[in-house]
Amino acid sequence: MIAFFITSGLFLGWSLGANDAANIFGSAVGSRMVTFRKAAIIASVFVILGAFLQGSGTSDTLGKLGAVNAIGGSFTVALAAAITVYSMTRSSLPVSTTQAIVGAIIGWNLYTGNATDGKTLTQIVTTWISGPILGGTFAVLLYMLLKWYKRRAGIHMIRFESYIRNGLIIAGAFGAFSLGSNNIANVMGVFVPAIDLPVIDLGFVAIGSGQQLFLLGGIAIALGIITYSKRVMETVGSGIFELSSEAAMVVVISQSLVLFLFSSVALSNLLNGMGLPSIPLVPVSSSQVVIGSIMGIGLYKGARNMNYRMLGGIALGWVATPVIAGVISYFSLFFIENVFEIAVALPK
Amino acid sequence: MALFTRTTGLLINKFDEFLDNVEVGLLVFREGVKSYLHGDRESLERHLRKIEALEEKADKLQKEIENDMIVHSILPKDRVEVFRLLDRTDEIIDTTKHSLTEIYVEVPDIPDELKDDFLRLVEVSASAGDELIPAIRTYFTTPYLVRDKLIKVYFFEDETDKLSTEIKTKIFQRMPDLELAKKAHLRYVLHHIESISDRAQDVADLLTGMAIKVIL
Repeated sequence: MIAFFITSGLFLGWSLGANDAANIFGSAVGSRMVTFRKAAIIASVFVILGAFLQGSGTSDTLGKLGAVNAIGGSFTVALAAAITVYSMTRSSLPVSTTQAIVGAIIGWNLYTGNATDGKTLTQIVTTWISGPILGGTFAVLLYMLLKWYKRRAGIHMIRFESYIRNGLIIAGAFGAFSLGSNNIANVMGVFVPAIDLPVIDLGFVAIGSGQQLFLLGGIAIALGIITYSKRVMETVGSGIFELSSEAAMVVVISQSLVLFLFSSVALSNLLNGMGLPSIPLVPVSSSQVVIGSIMGIGLYKGARNMNYRMLGGIALGWVATPVIAGVISYFSLFFIENVFEIAVALPK
Repeated sequence: MALFTRTTGLLINKFDEFLDNVEVGLLVFREGVKSYLHGDRESLERHLRKIEALEEKADKLQKEIENDMIVHSILPKDRVEVFRLLDRTDEIIDTTKHSLTEIYVEVPDIPDELKDDFLRLVEVSASAGDELIPAIRTYFTTPYLVRDKLIKVYFFEDETDKLSTEIKTKIFQRMPDLELAKKAHLRYVLHHIESISDRAQDVADLLTGMAIKVIL
């Protein structure tokens, strides 16, 4: 039965892999600097590693927003997010899995009468805005550094491109790891409080219930990358601003850094230990961070050929996606509970 | 990674060798014309064979570079322009070979009073090509310096035009005893020599645009 209920989460994972892998390897594959086969293998391996090793931080934050404690509720919340993502994508509207799942959880809170933690919600929403801005800032700084180095070093264009090609692969691996660790919460976060799987003891390491779910979610994302991301990757690149290979690498690194910052438990603990304010561990939209990074480079280069409608798309996504997902979640929970008589929340 | 590094190194060497061939071709062309003007046909023939070998080698390298760049997907966004650059640069050595062959086959009768003018024209026209080669090398390492390097190419091309017009004026207006057929033949030879700097200017125009694209 558990296998059936987590299908909605796995479907979300699949669609995340199909769409978001293009943010990591799209430019490299689209420009044929890296083959799709190589990109898909690297992205799949590292996305699973990221989800498995570092997925707990962002899931905890989503848990604070709304601890969906019945598997029927988890299924419905993930399904509502998946329907939102699917229907908005079909209508060519900008959508983010992150914002959809948050809206769906709030829908669950409203339906079950659980209070939404205002502090956590503020933390999450603030990150949605600061993520793209931070991505843009990282991108400009890295781009300036790379340009300065290229000019100073006088490396042959072909050799430089070979470095960039290797850089794209390394940055892509880091990007996939960060995507897995940050976005696994969107896929499996709502199932963690509701499912308690037996611990798998391998002798040298014990894998808990949460990590097993993260592993499954990671595999679903990897399947999305392998089966459906090729077309997205091959068409990505000219949406906002035509990217050179070095700009593409900078965008991938910036995006990876932002996703890593908002999902690294170790970094958060380190900052805490030093008495500094810790970074909130929140799932952020990789697509929106990529758009922020590309816009940062575009603005640095004089803002020619920029597609400012994309900026409006991000703002629309911040508002429309959670609202739509919340409404779908609310009515779906009502339907599941009253028609199928499946519990969507357990009494506290 | 090692495969990339090896391919990259080999490809850079091929580019350098290709440009070396064009550069040496220009030197051989100068020496070939000098030999002809000094009446040393044997030396002219030797230089002609040399330039033929250089041109053949340049063609071979051009094909290898294009093949490597396609197979290993190198510089995918700039590849078409790089191919055009190679093609037009190859036209320079083609032109030098063609001109020297014409001189060897047609044996133009160049009056003694024009020999120095012809030598000067060969020197100036070939200099446009000479100045172009470092500019092409610069494009691959420090593209923002390309414009500075190309100034001399445009200068020598302009000088070639002026000198050529001067020589033609001399032939057609100040040498009444020279037969019209010989005058026409000399004009034809002048046109051949001139075309080296014209080809260099074509490449310079292309290179200017390519460098701007890379810098932006």
